[in-house]
Amino acid sequence: MNNMLIIGQYVPGNSLVHRLDPRTKMTVIFFFVFIVFLANTVISYSVLTAFALASMITTRIPIRFILKGLTPVWFLIGFTFILHLIVTNQGTVLVDIFGFSIYSGAIIQGFAISMRFFLLILVTSLLTLTTTPIEITDGIEDMLHPLKKIRFPVHELALMMSISLRFIPTLMQETEKISRAQASRGVDFRTGPLKERMKAVVPLLVPLFVSAFKRAEELAMAMEARGYQGGEGRTKLRELKLEKRDLLIFLLFILTTAALFFTRSY
Amino acid sequence: MDITFNNVSYIYQAKTPFEHKAIADLSLFIPSGSFTAVIGHTGSGKSTLIQHLNGLVRPTKGEVIIGDYHLTQDQKPDELKSLRSRVGVVFQYPEHQLFEETVKKDIAFGPHNFGVPQAEINKRIEQLTPVVGLSDELLERSPFDLSGGQMRRVAIAGVLATEPEVLVLDEPTAGLDPRGQREMMDMFYNLHHQEGMTTILVTHSMEDAVKYADNVVILNDGTKYMEGKPEEVLTQRDALHKVQLDVPEMVQFINKFSEQFGYDIPYRRQSPAELASDIRQILKGGLTNE
Repeated sequence: MNNMLIIGQYVPGNSLVHRLDPRTKMTVIFFFVFIVFLANTVISYSVLTAFALASMITTRIPIRFILKGLTPVWFLIGFTFILHLIVTNQGTVLVDIFGFSIYSGAIIQGFAISMRFFLLILVTSLLTLTTTPIEITDGIEDMLHPLKKIRFPVHELALMMSISLRFIPTLMQETEKISRAQASRGVDFRTGPLKERMKAVVPLLVPLFVSAFKRAEELAMAMEARGYQGGEGRTKLRELKLEKRDLLIFLLFILTTAALFFTRSY
Repeated sequence: MDITFNNVSYIYQAKTPFEHKAIADLSLFIPSGSFTAVIGHTGSGKSTLIQHLNGLVRPTKGEVIIGDYHLTQDQKPDELKSLRSRVGVVFQYPEHQLFEETVKKDIAFGPHNFGVPQAEINKRIEQLTPVVGLSDELLERSPFDLSGGQMRRVAIAGVLATEPEVLVLDEPTAGLDPRGQREMMDMFYNLHHQEGMTTILVTHSMEDAVKYADNVVILNDGTKYMEGKPEEVLTQRDALHKVQLDVPEMVQFINKFSEQFGYDIPYRRQSPAELASDIRQILKGGLTNE
């Protein structure tokens, strides 16, 4: 069904990036998202691109798979680029097409913004490609821990997140199963007038909701049966621990950031 | 409608790290009007095979021919809907597909989509309810108020109401109590004979295969492992063990019997009663011989 989109899909592996602490990955990516907006020269962009590409190669996930998985994003990037070509009018006029003037500034601006887009999406999808949903929620729970002081339900939030993440594939499978059954009963999800196709969603959604509610009830019962009573005093199966490699990556990232500050223009 | 698979392969998520070959170079022939059992271990490609039968998926390689409909990678029949109206599929746990406000509306859903006039649908529902073992007063109830077994019957009625020429059953009795299982299988068997439907039964149960099928296909790792008459295929213990399957209980008994007492009883799909009289014959013969 969703053969094309890879955002949110985990590809098992044992590379350095896979083994990093999820907190390291999330922190680095969090700051990377900010510093992407600081780049404003060719060299500073190259520094960031080098960092992103190096991380991508280190994951040992086939590059063709990653790039192909970003297909829907390519459209967005292309669209941004064209939008900038049309609306920006700085610099000198390069060509005139059908009354539209394309400025040199527009091309530069278009490239810069598209590049930002690309880097952002590449790096964030690397997180989900190399980190299991459980690791991500564990990391988030740990990093949000200080908020407990102000009575923020960190554990409950993390539990909700991990449960919903856990059930995404299940629900997708269920959706596929039900849509197959209904297609066999003559429902046409793909062709026909829009109104008919909207109506075709009902036989899909009703059974999906029914089974989702049933599943939630069963899960709650199973959790209680196993003595679950909230986060108080609960220990963890996998303790998160920062290793040497995490420090190394932090160091590398700080160096990259420093390089960025040296190479950008003010 | 005859069903032919010519060197069919099907690959899930091709060219990604998740690539998975579900069916590999499978060739099959299912004659019109036969009762064919498809048996295989989990992950042997049974479900994928079923999805080819009404065009839910198209083969990555090879060709599937169902009556006049041809399915290949590049071409899909324009008449997908008409193919689906002629091939009915009862999926595993079909009660999950119920969604309408009343049982009657849900049964009518399939035929309605295939353009059957309302009067004809009503007539079919009237005929079907006793056949699948539902009572008339249930028709106006919500399908979600029914018991699991009743829901299953409603879902099956919904498929039968389209009056398919080919009926595909994917473990239709899973999760039912023994009596319900027997009733349901007997119902399908009667329908098969009365309506002359080509029936394809996907099952784990060797007993069901032996009891109802006249043609058995054994799948392993997405390819055909064995094919033939049940009494020929389902007695080959060693070959079946290799793919984690077991011979039917009746055959197990006959084998044990010959090991213990040295009498070979030919297996010809006899019922327990017939087998008992076979043994009586042997005992009598044995006594008079000595």
